[in-house]
Amino acid sequence: MDWPYALIGALTLLAASTALGLLWKARTGRAAATAPGAPPAIVRAAELADPHSDAVAPTLGERATLLQFSTEFCARCPQTRTLLAGIADAADGVSAIDIDLGARPELARRFRVMQTPTVLLLDAAGVVRARIGGAPDRRTITEQLAPLLERDPHVTAIG
Amino acid sequence: MSQPSVEPLTPAATTATTAVGTDAPAGIDPRGPRFGAAITAVLLLTVVALSLAAAETAALIGLALISALFAWGAFAGIQRHPYGVLFRTFVRPRLAAPTELEDPRPPTFAQGVGFVVTAIGVLLGLLAIPAAVGIAAAAAFVAAFLNAVFGYCIGCQLYVLLLRLRG
Repeated sequence: MDWPYALIGALTLLAASTALGLLWKARTGRAAATAPGAPPAIVRAAELADPHSDAVAPTLGERATLLQFSTEFCARCPQTRTLLAGIADAADGVSAIDIDLGARPELARRFRVMQTPTVLLLDAAGVVRARIGGAPDRRTITEQLAPLLERDPHVTAIG
Repeated sequence: MSQPSVEPLTPAATTATTAVGTDAPAGIDPRGPRFGAAITAVLLLTVVALSLAAAETAALIGLALISALFAWGAFAGIQRHPYGVLFRTFVRPRLAAPTELEDPRPPTFAQGVGFVVTAIGVLLGLLAIPAAVGIAAAAAFVAAFLNAVFGYCIGCQLYVLLLRLRG
């Protein structure tokens, strides 16, 4: 029996786990701008449609789309879904799409989803502008959305 | 015992194709599983200490008991876990009503992960590899501790990686 050794070991594990938790807390739900040219840069509405389901294919928003990836074993996905739907409802030309990766596992690989929820922020053309791993808060989404909503695409097309 | 009457909060998303949680079971108080994870974390840290102190038999018995409790949560569902009963009887009445309810499937999945990890430790321990008991307990401790203290959800991370292996 070597109790001092055991105590030091247990406390070290506790400290390391706390550090890991703080690191995770600092990183989860944060937005990362996608590197230029990082595949896949463009999301098309057609590839999001479930081929095994009769449900109507989703449509991308006119100005921006909040594309969420979820699974049924994700505790934080429902609240993120509610948050994104609320933001999309309040903003003009923004749509929120929630994809169940359980039904579409190939999309998890295609979009390199490592955790759920993962949110991709798409602009009017479907280009991925930002990626958020973990449950985001309202502020993170609105901050990322703001530059996309600043200018009306129709106006800039003319001007 | 009276279960708190709960309605699943069904978020109304405007445009969603394959909605998760449309046939979700009734929601549970999210603090319940975290309360259970806190007890589990304390027990697992004790097993780690026993293992480091070379109290091999005690560590093995401890991990086997924790593993059995994980199996209970995984196969009977998190709502029927003894810690859940403890939470509803002694803790829940002292707290304010939950602001939102959670799907019971993610914490039930986490119980299954805990069961697999601790069961491997117990099996290797029985095969005279005592270090495996401490290592399995330490791994399960990290997940339980992060869940209890930081609200980390292992299903959010691990399940999608399993899907990628399958997809």
